[in-house]
Amino acid sequence: MTEQRNPGMSSIPQTAPRRNDVYVNMKTDFRAQLARCQKLLEGGGHREICVHGLGLAINRAINIALQLQASSQGALQLAANTSTVELVDDLEPEDPDEAGEPMTRTRNNSAIHIKVFYPDPQ
Amino acid sequence: MLPLNHTDTPPVSICEAAPVPYVSLWGTEQTSQRHHRSPLPVPPPALKLGQEGFKKVCRTEEDSPCPFPGLASGVLEMRVKEGSKIRNLMGFAMARMQGEKGVSGGGVTDGGLRQVVFTGSGRAVTKTITCAEIMKRKVGSLHQLTKLQYKVVKEVWESTEGGTSEMTVHRTVPSISILLSKDPLDPQEPGYQPPETLSALWEEKEGVESASQKTCKRPLGPLPYSSFTHCKRMCLGEGVSVLPPQ
Repeated sequence: MTEQRNPGMSSIPQTAPRRNDVYVNMKTDFRAQLARCQKLLEGGGHREICVHGLGLAINRAINIALQLQASSQGALQLAANTSTVELVDDLEPEDPDEAGEPMTRTRNNSAIHIKVFYPDPQ
Repeated sequence: MLPLNHTDTPPVSICEAAPVPYVSLWGTEQTSQRHHRSPLPVPPPALKLGQEGFKKVCRTEEDSPCPFPGLASGVLEMRVKEGSKIRNLMGFAMARMQGEKGVSGGGVTDGGLRQVVFTGSGRAVTKTITCAEIMKRKVGSLHQLTKLQYKVVKEVWESTEGGTSEMTVHRTVPSISILLSKDPLDPQEPGYQPPETLSALWEEKEGVESASQKTCKRPLGPLPYSSFTHCKRMCLGEGVSVLPPQ
C-alpha cells in the first residue's frame, strides 16, 4: 500500500482566492514569497492582504507577516486567526494487480490565516 | 515563478526565516516534530560557517512584553516547547480548565479556570496552535485572541576544540501567543476569533454558496483514485454549510 500525498497548498480550500490572498508553502523560495507580499501591499495598492499557512508552513507564514510588519516601520498591523483543516490521504495498492482496496484516511492539521493590513486612520 | 532579481534582499539576515532546508513532511503534528527534533537546531545559514566545531551550551529566551495587556495575573500559561508532548500539555490544561472535582480546595471555582494562554516559539509554533485548536474543540464556546511577535533568544556556543572561546548569538524567532477565554473578549482587538468558528472561517469572507460550489468543483471527479496529482483533497465537513456566517 503506498500513500499518495500531494503536499501542496492546494489542499487548503482556496475559496474563490482573491488577489490579495497569499498561500505560503515550503517549496518556493522564502524571499520570493516575501517579495510577492511586499509587491501586493506597495505596488498592488492593496490595503490588506491575507497570508495563509498550513502545517509546517505556519512558521513561514508568521515569519513573512512579521517581516512585513517590521519593514513597514509600524504602519502595518497583524490579525492572526487559527483553524483546523481536515485533510484526506488517499491510499492505493502499490501493485495494481494486488487485490488491495483503495482507501482513504482523514487527519487534521493546523492552519493560520494572518491578515496584514494598514489600520484605518481614526 | 516571480520575475525577481535577488538584489532586493529583504532584511532576513538574523531571523530563522532563512529557509531551513528540510523536506516538507506533511505528516501529523507529532511525526513531523519527531523528525525535526535534533540536539542542535540548524543555525541560520549566515552563521553556519563560523560555527563548525562549536557546541551550543545554553539557550535562554529573553523576556518579552506580555502580548495581552490587562490580563489578570495568575492566568495559566502553557509554554509549549519543541519536545513537549501534546497529551501531557492537554492533560494538564484540560484538567485545570474543567476544574478538578474533589480537589478544589477553594481557590479555584468549580468550573475550573476561565482563561488559559498557550505560547510557543520557533518550531513549537505549530504544536501551540494544535493545542489551542484541540482545546477549542473539547471545551467549546471559547473566545480566542491570537498574537504574533518576535522573540529574542540568546544562545551561547562553546568551542569543542579544547579552547575556552565562547560565542553569544542573539537570534529572533517568531512566536505565537493564544489566549483562550470562557469570558468574552474585545472583538475589536486584532487577532480576535469568536467561539465556534471551527471551519466557518472561510465563509466569512465570501458567501456560503460560492464557497461550497468552488470547492466541490475541484477534485471530486468520478474517478477519485485515478488521479495522482489530486490525491489529497479538502474534506467538506460539517463546517462548510451548517454554521451561518457570523
